Amino acid sequence: MSAAPADWLDPLPWLDLARVADPSMVERSLRANEPGVREFAALLSPAAASRMEALAQRALALTRRHFGRAISLYAPLYLSNYCPARCTYCGFSAGLRIARHKLTPAELEAELSALKDLGIEEVLLLTGDRATVADYPFVRDSVRLAAARFPNVAVEVFPMSVDEYRGLSVAGCTAVTLYQETYDPVRYEHSHLSGPKRDYHSRLDAPARALAGGIRVAGLGALLGLGEPRFDLLSLFQHATHLRRTFWKGGVAISFPRLRPEPGGYTAAFPVDQKFLAQAIFAFRICLPDVPLLLSTRESPRFRDGMAGVGISKMSVASRTTVGGYDLETVPSGQQFDINDHRGVTTFCAALEAKGLQPVFKNWDAAYREDTASVRAGNARQI
Amino acid sequence: MADGLKLGDRIFSSRLLLGTGKFSSTDAMIRAVRASGAELVTVALRRFHPGRPVDDVLAPLAAIEGLTLVPNTSGARDAGEAVRAAQLGRELCGSPFVKLEIHPNPHHLLPDPIETYEAAKILVGEGFLVLPYMPADPVLARRLEDLGCAAVMPLGAAIGSGQGLTTMSMLKLIIRDASVPVIVDAGLRSPSDAALTMEIGGDAVLVNSAIAAAENPELMASAFAAAVRAGRDAWKAGLMPQSDVAVATSPLTGFLAGGEAG
Amino acid sequence: MDLVVNGEAYRHDGQATIADLLRECHAEAGRTAVMVNGDVLRKGSFETVRLSDGDHVELIVIAAGG
Repeated sequence: MSAAPADWLDPLPWLDLARVADPSMVERSLRANEPGVREFAALLSPAAASRMEALAQRALALTRRHFGRAISLYAPLYLSNYCPARCTYCGFSAGLRIARHKLTPAELEAELSALKDLGIEEVLLLTGDRATVADYPFVRDSVRLAAARFPNVAVEVFPMSVDEYRGLSVAGCTAVTLYQETYDPVRYEHSHLSGPKRDYHSRLDAPARALAGGIRVAGLGALLGLGEPRFDLLSLFQHATHLRRTFWKGGVAISFPRLRPEPGGYTAAFPVDQKFLAQAIFAFRICLPDVPLLLSTRESPRFRDGMAGVGISKMSVASRTTVGGYDLETVPSGQQFDINDHRGVTTFCAALEAKGLQPVFKNWDAAYREDTASVRAGNARQI
Repeated sequence: MADGLKLGDRIFSSRLLLGTGKFSSTDAMIRAVRASGAELVTVALRRFHPGRPVDDVLAPLAAIEGLTLVPNTSGARDAGEAVRAAQLGRELCGSPFVKLEIHPNPHHLLPDPIETYEAAKILVGEGFLVLPYMPADPVLARRLEDLGCAAVMPLGAAIGSGQGLTTMSMLKLIIRDASVPVIVDAGLRSPSDAALTMEIGGDAVLVNSAIAAAENPELMASAFAAAVRAGRDAWKAGLMPQSDVAVATSPLTGFLAGGEAG
Repeated sequence: MDLVVNGEAYRHDGQATIADLLRECHAEAGRTAVMVNGDVLRKGSFETVRLSDGDHVELIVIAAGG
């Protein structure tokens, strides 16, 4: 492998430990007061896999300490599935013949209303890669519309410049999620065949640009299964710690998208099973105890229920991965990936409550954020 | 040099800094400085009175090889006074270092965070290597670091109180997040306090009262030096973790059995 | 000329440079820092800076402490 893509990104020294740590190292890592990358690597090892219950107990204790028994809930809303990129694993790939659609402002309003009716207070707006019909102005305008109604608006779109991120922040965007997909440059190149997404470095630096542009939280993730999982998880850990050190006023959050076998879909080169996914989440919770860890509806109800509060602190609910889809009038379109937890808000909240967890639709700190106040005032004047 | 203390562009091998005040005599102070192996000592600024010669400490300190003098702005009550004191100190000591100490309350001598921040901003701009004495506040530490201070100097306890590391939990947060050296200053009473500071990852300690007020300052100084070295080595060696009592609950991972179905 | 030196009234009868004042006070130029009317003087300027009537001068040295 050639030189590391960035001076903070160097998972190779820890990869052996992640592959072959011995039980005593796992034990020390479980108990460490200030776990670092070394302990994280050991907790990813096969030896740690035979201590899953201990990892889970520690993850539970730390999740309770930092997040209480609350699970923060949000819903994703796809604004557009137009995409110029060809990514081997994605349902929106430019090479696929699917129904393409982009929400008009009126449709967006209808979708937002439908989500509000479900009780959602945080929405994640998504698009494909940067496309002429769904570029920065479209995202910014959509953020502005959403921010008039939702206290928390996050986006998961395409890498932007610092100025564009600043524009999003002013429009009311509080978080930017962007998965590196895989941190291995070779695997990255093989998986991204065309389009702006080919640019590995621009994508790698985008979360830092978002934080520099005033976005409060950068959401990170690797698409598990695309590259060697331990390599990607170690890189992800280094990415998170690097951003926290550099942008001490901002936060990071980590998601765990996993490639799952889908009929007619992409086959992961390095399939990750549920058990290893759980182990990875426990390792992150133990080593980054105060970072929000997110799980989507890509995972099954049984898995989501098991992981809620045991490492996982934030979850999507009642998701659609088609464009729109919450409003009954929505135009049908191709979806990005299969949903496996189809439970509605009420059912899912009941499941959380049965576990002694409190579902939270967070809306309070928006009241004193200057950007929200001005967005709401601005929108009020426009009506 | 291996494991040196890096301040600005200078590297020091000793992680024990000494204050030169409160000794019974200049001679006692000089012997303690030599015994401590310190390479950085803080000195105060005083008015020179015509007709009343001040006991000269500059000459005997200058005679100690490898010693860098760090003027202390103590006595300044606001940023303006501290900046002037720093400029005077630079004329006298010939080093770019300044220990920024602003404590308006003469009873507890706790540092003023706002004046300290303002003074640091100006002094960094004038090319000083600023070592700010500060409350043990993790956010203030990052803000002073962002300004360009060469280190941060959070207090362990109020000056001269000898209460040890009352700010331990805050010090750990500061140490964890700092990219500049963390020099714990004030309140240390015993060599074990110094060793503990190094064991939790502190980069250096500054000690004054604990040595000056000891029965045998020279011996206490060498004890502190040994403690700082021991604590540093212990930190490098990797202390065994304290055991966390696990909470016994029912098994959490049953849902993972049986593979992917469901 | 009449000066205020270290907060006290002082009568100077010399050539009115800082260096003169230091010599008069038996202060060593290499070991003394000087402020005139609130401004810190650079070392090496002592022979050239002239005092004026009514100036406030501070003579500062290193002492044990800190």
